[in-house]
Amino acid sequence: MTKKEIESIVISVVRDYCINNDVNADIDSYTPLIGENRVLDSMGLVNVIVDIETALMEENIEVSLTSEAAMSSRISPFRTVNALCNFIEGQLQPEENE
Amino acid sequence: MNRIVIVPGSRKGLGHYLCNYFLEEGDIVYGCSRRESTIAHPNYIHFCLDVADEIAVINMVRQIYKNHKHIDVLVNNAGSASMNHFLLTPYSTAQKMINTNFMGTFLMCREVCRYMIKQRNGRIVNYSTVAVPLNLKGELVYSSSKAAIEQLTKVLAAEIGECGVTVNAIGPTPVLTDLIRNVPETKINELIQNQSIKRLGEFEDVLNVVKFFIAPESEFITGQIIYLGGVN
Repeated sequence: MTKKEIESIVISVVRDYCINNDVNADIDSYTPLIGENRVLDSMGLVNVIVDIETALMEENIEVSLTSEAAMSSRISPFRTVNALCNFIEGQLQPEENE
Repeated sequence: MNRIVIVPGSRKGLGHYLCNYFLEEGDIVYGCSRRESTIAHPNYIHFCLDVADEIAVINMVRQIYKNHKHIDVLVNNAGSASMNHFLLTPYSTAQKMINTNFMGTFLMCREVCRYMIKQRNGRIVNYSTVAVPLNLKGELVYSSSKAAIEQLTKVLAAEIGECGVTVNAIGPTPVLTDLIRNVPETKINELIQNQSIKRLGEFEDVLNVVKFFIAPESEFITGQIIYLGGVN
């Protein structure tokens, strides 16, 4: 799966969440998911993570976004859409290289 | 009823009994245990795994969700017990009990919850024990692991209360299963004397509470612990 395809899934999930929860925001690669100017609260982040995981599962890609690597990372992979896409891409690479 | 039900610890005792109940109700039941299945039914699927094995639990729950796109009920039945004086409890025994009872419940809840939150619906029933409120001597590690499950139940219920998922726990009295096989009869009788209703628990007593917790009408019941036998 390409970075562009990952980004398409992530943006679509975050956009759906925002629409369904009356969050008024334009979603692109630079959108902060957590921290200052974030579009997600803590339950929002949980919902988005689950939706991204299941959307990827639909594409026969199994990743855990709540893995030790994600949660213990010094710089959170959830800080922006782009950071999350990079993290997912990184999780996929070892599998794809096998 | 065609619910998708998960019952860890389904090989014998209460888990086996509950699986048969759900199968008779027409549900699709997924069980697991470290050893082979003892249930042969077209709607029963068994996974051989240790509930404290994170990867195995993730894969099992993921597979169930892939198969059905929803999970309705989780009854966290798997557990182990070992009664001994605190000073005579080996570290390895304590660790094993915490792993199976608490970490197993934690992992099953975590993995199932992600899909229940997504579907905005689900019922989780955890297992405590009357040994928690009774502070029974000789059951320090067992009751501590179950006290942790009670706390998990309450906090998890609070964290996901808005998502349509309920999390409750049942605290059975001793029920005649392998779990109390090695407990002397005098100890069991002493324990029963602490109950308002002085008898052993039956499988049906546990089932009754499980049915109450998972009923559609119980959508407003969450974070609760119900002890059998009038213990509190």
